[in-house]
Amino acid sequence: MKINSVQQQNFKGKILDNAGKFIINHPVETAALAGSSVIAQKIVMSGSEAVIGPVIDLGIGQAITKATKEKDGRTKQSSKIQAIRTFSQSVGGTIVGVVIRAICIGAMTFGCMKAGSKAGEALANVLNPEKLSDTAQKYQYAEKMSAWGKALGGGLATMVMMVTNFIVDAPFINYINKSVTNICSKKPNAQTNQNKENNAKEAK
Amino acid sequence: MAFNLASLAEKFNPEGKAGKVLLVLNAAGMLFAAASNTFAAAADKNTSAEDKKFLVPAGIFTGVVNIALYYKMTQKIIDRLKDVANKQVQNLSNEELLQKATQVAKAKINKAEKGIFNTGLFKKSADMVQSMKDTLLTKEGIATPFAIEEFSKKIPEGASVMGAFIGAVIGCSIITPIVRDISAYFVQRKMEKRNPDFKELPHKPYFDPAHIESRRYGNIRRQPLSMKNYMAFTNNKLKV
Repeated sequence: MKINSVQQQNFKGKILDNAGKFIINHPVETAALAGSSVIAQKIVMSGSEAVIGPVIDLGIGQAITKATKEKDGRTKQSSKIQAIRTFSQSVGGTIVGVVIRAICIGAMTFGCMKAGSKAGEALANVLNPEKLSDTAQKYQYAEKMSAWGKALGGGLATMVMMVTNFIVDAPFINYINKSVTNICSKKPNAQTNQNKENNAKEAK
Repeated sequence: MAFNLASLAEKFNPEGKAGKVLLVLNAAGMLFAAASNTFAAAADKNTSAEDKKFLVPAGIFTGVVNIALYYKMTQKIIDRLKDVANKQVQNLSNEELLQKATQVAKAKINKAEKGIFNTGLFKKSADMVQSMKDTLLTKEGIATPFAIEEFSKKIPEGASVMGAFIGAVIGCSIITPIVRDISAYFVQRKMEKRNPDFKELPHKPYFDPAHIESRRYGNIRRQPLSMKNYMAFTNNKLKV
């Protein structure tokens, strides 16, 4: 057990060492990541889900089919339906989510930019306690207000999406799901129809 | 009031905490999604009071476990990566620090001047570019002390964002489906105990969205929330 825990620690240590080296050898990319907002997170998260999710669904379907020696292939079929559903949810959720996040973050950043420069006001004191000037220290001021805009805008987007999830996401995801299902179900049918036609010709 | 606001702002100041902000906002999104799912189950008129007695706690339990696992794991990844990045920055010699800070400052100014990947997209105004040049670079074209300080803060912050992304990918693509399926499995078993005539086959306990025919898949919410469509209900999770 002790050896295992030492090996585990060494393994973790190696991963972290490599991560550290990667970070310091790519300073431009790492520093650029620091400016990321929930928009980037949504794209990364749902993008990976759109790829990994359907694979997991199909994998589980395959595993159950094999483990139970199922002959009717019902689980396999259901896993395909679920894979399409997962893909549709990821794609639809990403498109709507990114648009709403971008609008909310843009609006909040704009608001912070305006509010932070008003000397003497309570909100300005909160957002800009160092009293950075929006003209003399334009860059520092913009960086600060952008950080506030991304955080507050992300929070606002979360609230807004409690409503849009029902009125925008759900019908949009269903539409994508229907379209993808049609595309996926047409191909095999088209092939089987062609095969039937070929067989009929051969028979003649 | 002003004092309270100021102390609150100091506490929740998002500067330098991009990874933490992403983690908290994503967890909040997951929480709201889980809450609305559970609320939908509780408010569904087609579900019997008996079914609600275990469907609602199951929804709450699934949400809590899912979010807690995601939050704890991601927080750990963020902290570790931030520590590693901090150490790497501290281990740099003065020359290396100056060189890397200059490299980052120049890349930032270039991006502001020419847009993302030199495409002109999201490029900044001439005033802003000039302000960046004045703030980040000396006349000799090397990083100013401000740029060096910013570099020392941005590298750990970038590493924390990397951690937040890794956590989000693992949480969303792996933890969520596993927790959801296991939870649905126990709900299924409970349902089977309550109703011995339940016709689901035991070897397909938690993965059976096919009982909703594909052509009716879009209208799941119109169906009564019974065990027959519980899996579809959980899989129809709202995306935040």
